[in-house]
Amino acid sequence: MPVNPVTCDALLSPDLAGAHARARRRRERVRRALVGGGTALVMAGLLAIPLFLLAGLLPWQGLPDDAWQRLGVLAAGSLRAAAFAALVAVPLGLATALFTAHFCAPRLRGWLKPSLEMLEALPTVVLGLVATATLAPWLKTEVATLLALLVALPAVLLALAFAFGARVRRAGWLPLWLLPLPVALVAIGLALGARSGTVAIAPANPWNALVVGLALGVAALPLVYSVAEDALFLVPREQAQAAFALGATRWQALTTVVLPAAGSGLVAAVLLGVSRCLGETMVVLMASGNTPIAGVDPLTGLRAISAELALVLPDTAPASTTWRSLLLAALALLAVTALLNRLAEAVRARLRRRLQGLPA
Amino acid sequence: MIRRRLDAAGTWLLAGTAALCIALLLGLLLLLLRAGLAPFWPAPVIELSLHDGRVLLGEVVSSEPDSLVLRGSERARIGDAYSRVALADIAMRTQPPDALALQLADGRRLFGRGDEAAVLAGALAPARVLEATRPNADGPIARIGLFARAAARFVGTRPDASALGGGMLPALLGTVTLVLLMSILVMPLGIATAVYLHQRRGFLARSVRGAVNLLAGVPSIVYGVLGLGLFVHGIGAGIDRWFYAERLPVPTFGSGGLLWAALTLALLTLPVVVVSVEEGLARIPAGLRDGALALGATGDEAVWGLLLPAARPAVLTGLILAVARAAGAVAPLMLVGVVKLAPALPLDGTFPYLHPSRQFMHLGFEVYDAALASADAIRGVPRAYACALLLVVVVVVLNLSAILLRNRLRERYRALET
Repeated sequence: MPVNPVTCDALLSPDLAGAHARARRRRERVRRALVGGGTALVMAGLLAIPLFLLAGLLPWQGLPDDAWQRLGVLAAGSLRAAAFAALVAVPLGLATALFTAHFCAPRLRGWLKPSLEMLEALPTVVLGLVATATLAPWLKTEVATLLALLVALPAVLLALAFAFGARVRRAGWLPLWLLPLPVALVAIGLALGARSGTVAIAPANPWNALVVGLALGVAALPLVYSVAEDALFLVPREQAQAAFALGATRWQALTTVVLPAAGSGLVAAVLLGVSRCLGETMVVLMASGNTPIAGVDPLTGLRAISAELALVLPDTAPASTTWRSLLLAALALLAVTALLNRLAEAVRARLRRRLQGLPA
Repeated sequence: MIRRRLDAAGTWLLAGTAALCIALLLGLLLLLLRAGLAPFWPAPVIELSLHDGRVLLGEVVSSEPDSLVLRGSERARIGDAYSRVALADIAMRTQPPDALALQLADGRRLFGRGDEAAVLAGALAPARVLEATRPNADGPIARIGLFARAAARFVGTRPDASALGGGMLPALLGTVTLVLLMSILVMPLGIATAVYLHQRRGFLARSVRGAVNLLAGVPSIVYGVLGLGLFVHGIGAGIDRWFYAERLPVPTFGSGGLLWAALTLALLTLPVVVVSVEEGLARIPAGLRDGALALGATGDEAVWGLLLPAARPAVLTGLILAVARAAGAVAPLMLVGVVKLAPALPLDGTFPYLHPSRQFMHLGFEVYDAALASADAIRGVPRAYACALLLVVVVVVLNLSAILLRNRLRERYRALET
């Protein structure tokens, strides 16, 4: 019978057994120390962020009035950018998530979901470049074209659906069939815009909230999509199948069964998307023009908190008034995004609890 | 009937939006490929004869509906020979086969007809000729050769003094060095924290988990503020006072540098690593751990000898996510030491080879700088696109290699995953 020599020796000689046990205990202590020390370091690093920001502001010496005013303008800029971005990311992300989770052919879904998640790994500086170098010059003359496209796309879709929709039984591959539609509409829009030669709506500044909103919306789109899709996919298939068995169409099953079950997940997706837009820096830095203008006009420039931090902080002397007001801005950004994330996390946890309580 | 039509309308709206997303994705990819590769393609040299008798030789850099912009011979300095020509003024447009394009070492371009020496004699400032081509006479294969050479020069050489020409090697090396250093810093810490969270359930563990979750979504720029205020102005200035006092007031660690940037990115990516590794540990069946305990292993031995090796795919997933997040994070770097043109690489042949206090270049920052702060916008934007494509390639390669590795490991441990 083969015998493990180490175990065998250890069993036969009490000395060796003692040495072996001591070595094991020593290794155990080292591992414990490594884990504990590493965790303590991590905790210190993570806690350092809020603590450092607070410590930089203490003792509180107050800020001059113009600093408060400036912070207000910056906060308004961040909010405006995030609001326009949400207008792009939320409808696109949620609608695509609804489609892929409920209607999509499995093979198309297996290809579409990873591609959209790859978009999340795209550095936002690249989106900022596209916004500032390609989108902004185009929108200088073509705002009206964009608005026309915004109206035309749903209108054409509805018309097509009323004409052919009843005859198409399975919608699984529909997006690929419809793919030429946006391409064709954009091409037509471009051609008409180039032919007319007149500028119907001219932005005050080529770098404006509209450009920021479009680019930032694309940056936040994958996050909104994947969170919403995960939530929708958590809803057990059997529930939708039960609705089908009772005679519901796919759309009815979606609106009456799946949406109510996964609704809080969609709310979480929106919250996370807005939080991402508020803190995103490179896109606003490159595409917003960085002009501190408050207001709601989509065609004027803006300056966001994150862009101000990136532009001004490196050359600011520590402990000066500017430094402290910027720390305050960073703290506000931290607080708002952390709050939004916490809310989203709570909503998602509720969703998971509810769905796990349901019979699968 | 109406009911069914309304259903179809909703479905088609959703499908159309999905189609719009696919179109957006494809459009972005195509734009990036086209605009990122176009700068390397040899442009033809154009000769324009105008109605007023002037003859212009150069390459077209942009064309609009009623005019085009021509880059002629830059005799004195880079960017001094652009001219806008209205299409109505052009009498004749030809591509003379004997046209010569010279690329000078300082980034300038010279155009002429005839031999190289005669064209070079027209330059007001002397410079070394990097490449002499006759793009109009070249066939497609020669053009592909020129294209490949230009692309290789972009990836493999240093930028010239004007930062408008030359390659991106220092920025590429800076990006990769930064990401690797960040990975070396973040992985042990992240794994230690994940193991701690896996083993403990007390108040401390709950608060660590809370902090990790809370900071997972904090904007990257806030981490940059911490890096600048705490690492650079706090710790870095302290190190300078204690160890490099003889060099003050010139800062050594008290200004932004590779080490502080890597630390900042490590903090930024920690939550991702912790969450992913902990999930991996939790997914491993309890039977494996119970088996180890039954054979006499202590809890720690079970985790380190059995569970962590089995969770290797999850560890790699954490690394992938961390790398993707770190390679794309440019904003915090702007606060902690990225520069447009670094005098020395952070990684070189002199001891100790890695210089953590040095400032560094980064592809993402080059994109920002070339697009917005370039002295010559007509050169800057194509250069920014080329940089952006290179950055995306780096991110994709780092991601893909880790994904391939993970999939191989997953095959090995497939039986364990539930």
